[in-house]
Amino acid sequence: MYGWIWRHLPGNVWVRALISLLLVLAVIYVLFQYVFPWAEPLLPFNDVTVDNQ
Amino acid sequence: MRVIVRTVSELCITVGTLIVLFVAYVLFWTGVRADGAMNDQIDQLHRQWSRGSMQPAAAAGERKPGAETKPAPYRYGKAFAIMYIPRLGFTWNKPVLEGTGRDVLEKGLAHYARTARLGEEGNFAVAGHRRTYGDPFKDFPELRPGDAVVLTDGTTWFTYRIDKGPYKTVPTDVEVIDPVPRKSGYTRPGRYLTLTTCDPEWGHSHRLIVWAHLDSTQSVEAGEPEALRR
Repeated sequence: MYGWIWRHLPGNVWVRALISLLLVLAVIYVLFQYVFPWAEPLLPFNDVTVDNQ
Repeated sequence: MRVIVRTVSELCITVGTLIVLFVAYVLFWTGVRADGAMNDQIDQLHRQWSRGSMQPAAAAGERKPGAETKPAPYRYGKAFAIMYIPRLGFTWNKPVLEGTGRDVLEKGLAHYARTARLGEEGNFAVAGHRRTYGDPFKDFPELRPGDAVVLTDGTTWFTYRIDKGPYKTVPTDVEVIDPVPRKSGYTRPGRYLTLTTCDPEWGHSHRLIVWAHLDSTQSVEAGEPEALRR
């Protein structure tokens, strides 16, 4: 999977490394901004009220 | 064969990294975000109050005989007060917002919309996170009868004194935020305060409750109440 991505990136090693880093950062951003906020309410830490709103 | 082994290992590493990132998000990042949001809310309140454009508070209106201005209703998701609990730390102060939706609880303490207003006759009930989102009520079990819970709405300081708690109950026990909570030991109507959070610390099987009564009020011009002075 990662080998396949690496082979399909353009440029020399440094350019590829830079693009990989950007890809990783983009993935982390999407996770923190969209995926985790969606998944977090599935955990029990939000239930602090007694009328279950 | 090699391809399969490689793919499976890569998947495992990916899942592991995801879990680590998620834990970091829940434990750390929600706190960073919530602290920022809470500070924003408190700054906004202070700005609003210093401009003097805030609505007259319920109790302030009551004390002025003949004042006919009915206080503006709390608006969902909007902060209207700041809470101080010296037992949780002298720097502990959190904004109180209207409504108990998830989005509200991410920005501060949440006032149960159907309960009394701050300082009014009835039960002013507030919920807060025990863990995650800044851990506002992390030390909730440390609260003891006699502890002060101080709130201000910009015009008045309200000092509540804890009478009972922490009391452990089940999540469906909505009676605890009744105007006169049955288990609290209060027998007649009064100006009460109820705090709720989850128990155990990382779970949601129970709730911890604390009850307090309004001990004293003073206008903000009179300075900070006794309970906040070191």
